[in-house]
Amino acid sequence: MSEAASRRLGLGGTAGIGSLRAWSVYIAFLILILVDLAVTPGFRNIFVLRNLLFEASPIILITLGQSLAIGTRGIDLSVGSVMGLSAAIIALALPAGQPLALLAGVGAGLLVGLFNGGLIAWLEINPLISSLALLVAARGFAQALLDGERVSLPQGGLFDVLGVNAYGDIPVVAFIAAAVVALVALVVRATTFGRYVIFVGANRLAAELAGMPARRTLFLVYGISGALAGLAGAFAAARLGASDPNYIGVNFELDAIAAAVIGGTPLSGGRISIIGGVIGVLLLQVLDSSFIMNDIDFTYAQILKALFIVAALYLQRAGG
Amino acid sequence: MTGDGVVLETRAVSKTFGAVRALQSVSFALRAGEVHGLAGENGAGKSTLIKVLTGFHQPDSGEILLAGQPVRFADPRASQRAGVRAVYQEINLIPERSVAENMFLGDEPRRFGLLIDRRRMAEQAREILGRYGLDIDPRARLASLGLGLQQMVSIARAVSRGARVVIMDEPSSALTGHEVETLFALVDRLREERIAILFVSHRLSECYRLCDRLTVLRDGKIAASGTVRELPRAELVAAMLGRSAEILERGHGQAPAAAAGPVLKAEDISWRNRVRGVTLSVRAGEVVGLAGLLGAGRTETMKAVFGAERPDSGRVILGGRAMGEPSPARSIRRGLGFLPEDRRSEGIFPKLSVRENLTAAILPRIARFGFISKRRQDALVARFTAELGIKTDGPGAPITSLSGGNQQKVLIARCLAAEPLALMLDDPTRGIDVGAKAEVHAVIHRQAGKGLAVLATSSELEELMALSHRLVVLSEGAVAGERDTAETAPGEVLDLLAGAP
Repeated sequence: MSEAASRRLGLGGTAGIGSLRAWSVYIAFLILILVDLAVTPGFRNIFVLRNLLFEASPIILITLGQSLAIGTRGIDLSVGSVMGLSAAIIALALPAGQPLALLAGVGAGLLVGLFNGGLIAWLEINPLISSLALLVAARGFAQALLDGERVSLPQGGLFDVLGVNAYGDIPVVAFIAAAVVALVALVVRATTFGRYVIFVGANRLAAELAGMPARRTLFLVYGISGALAGLAGAFAAARLGASDPNYIGVNFELDAIAAAVIGGTPLSGGRISIIGGVIGVLLLQVLDSSFIMNDIDFTYAQILKALFIVAALYLQRAGG
Repeated sequence: MTGDGVVLETRAVSKTFGAVRALQSVSFALRAGEVHGLAGENGAGKSTLIKVLTGFHQPDSGEILLAGQPVRFADPRASQRAGVRAVYQEINLIPERSVAENMFLGDEPRRFGLLIDRRRMAEQAREILGRYGLDIDPRARLASLGLGLQQMVSIARAVSRGARVVIMDEPSSALTGHEVETLFALVDRLREERIAILFVSHRLSECYRLCDRLTVLRDGKIAASGTVRELPRAELVAAMLGRSAEILERGHGQAPAAAAGPVLKAEDISWRNRVRGVTLSVRAGEVVGLAGLLGAGRTETMKAVFGAERPDSGRVILGGRAMGEPSPARSIRRGLGFLPEDRRSEGIFPKLSVRENLTAAILPRIARFGFISKRRQDALVARFTAELGIKTDGPGAPITSLSGGNQQKVLIARCLAAEPLALMLDDPTRGIDVGAKAEVHAVIHRQAGKGLAVLATSSELEELMALSHRLVVLSEGAVAGERDTAETAPGEVLDLLAGAP
């Protein structure tokens, strides 16, 4: 298909097109930054960067989990709602102290993720369906836990570390996100588990016939995605200074899916680009702030963003 | 060829797909009131012929005659209107609707030309089903019936819509014994009504029991045709298999002495009516050919032994130890390898490199604390590319950049890298060219020479005989006999394959 298409367009060698496609997310990101530096008022302000990294860090975390799920030829729609649930659990667990409360939030994410993974791996429910069910259920559960109310978190302690503190202009959460990115990239690249994720996505039947634990791999992938969404919920709540079940993580799964796919993790599975996904997140974040800083109406901004995503996906379409 | 009562006829019909000549000047006639069996191995052109007859494909040359008149079926609807209907293995009806609704789908009896008259529809359906001796409630949901009865409904639908020719593609393959009897009764009834039936089945005993006339396709050509009396089983099978164009050298040496104990033993393996009590054993250094026609259960036997399918009964003993609950992971760990038949869907990981594909089955063995040693991976790739003569641009080359034969060698290397005691190869030379075939044979013989026990299948009998020391012949899921290839003539094996009593 891609070959035929490039022949039709008279683009000659497919190798050139393939590598161009592999780099498209980086090129698009670069172009966007250059355009912003040229035309967007106040883009050079360093607070922009700092704010951007605060916003991007939780999305980077859920994009990592999303990339793993998509790599197995699945998807995890529940991540945004799991962020909300994690924030709600943190608010409830506050009497146990901040560290334990944060841990409880991550733990709740892990449990939801493992439940999702169990449905997918052993009950063989389509990941689109099971994670869609959890998208609804986790959000509803979060709202029920807090009676639909926004609960303020105390100031100071770990919440300030995650929500306010920065070294220079780099927030602490960005350092944590970067460390998790490095860890996940290493796991995908060099460990048996990481390879199983890719093998299962490339050809599930062949993976099983080669003796790989396909079910266990799927189970763990969704568990990891849930735990990362739990941590992302903690980041988002700390940043907001409150746990708001109607706000935290709403529609974040869409950005995570778009970022992963734009970054070079095809929906057809069998390939994962961790760094590409991170750039994808930054790209979408910069795009959002460009619209805001140029005073583009939110409604139109969404349409423009959608057009941009479609264009980026077109460049990625075959994914090799 | 316009003999008496010919309903549907093809004259010198040819059809080419790309480089594949699917049908080459096929002339074939179907008479009213006859059941005509169509036999042939995979890729012989049976499906193409059916698709040409039903208007899915247009012939490149030649003509189709219906009741002596040349016709052109632009699409399946056109052939259906002309009274030619096919009933496929996968039933293309609506499982969630009632039997009656399915029978009248698209042509429901109506009141005032608008509302569907359910009562009349049910009555008519009941009458038609009754006429063919089918005791089915027309109001039942189609999905609530067994697969067999669904098929009967599908056939009843076809004839009730005025079909003069019914094409049945593998009608019995999913049916239980009782359902097959009902199908046969229905076919007899249709024959009495002078309907022409084209019956495609891999089960030769059914063909001989049911058909008046048989036609064999091979490589897109008619290989034999005649009444069941003119065409005895062994001749039919010989026509199906043909003599392979190239006679491969008998590359293997002396069979290992009987004193060498069996490495792989399968005892009384059964799986879903497709494998029925298969017992076989393979000694160290021995190449055993698992022979059988399409549908005889070769692949299913191997998958059940390997644990890719859970056998209903039986046990596997490897190197003197019983295997326990079979699974691919356990089989590989204990030293039993399996090369699946369909390289593309079951073997290769298409987006990945030669390195990844070759080491896929042994990652835990070349990893330390979960981290894979790329050095060890590349050492294995280097060893096997040299040992098996794999032509590749290096370990990082995408597997899909290799030729079919070299991809197959990578998959064999994947099995060998796990250092197996016994290896099962399901049609290892499928879809690769002649030169690569000889190389794959040489690889198998070299490994056997080092003491590996090999069980192999092939869709070509002569090739399998050249490859193996001994043949285990399967017929309809059961072992029909064993023969030493050195002392056996192909004709004798053909009788076994055909399941002749």
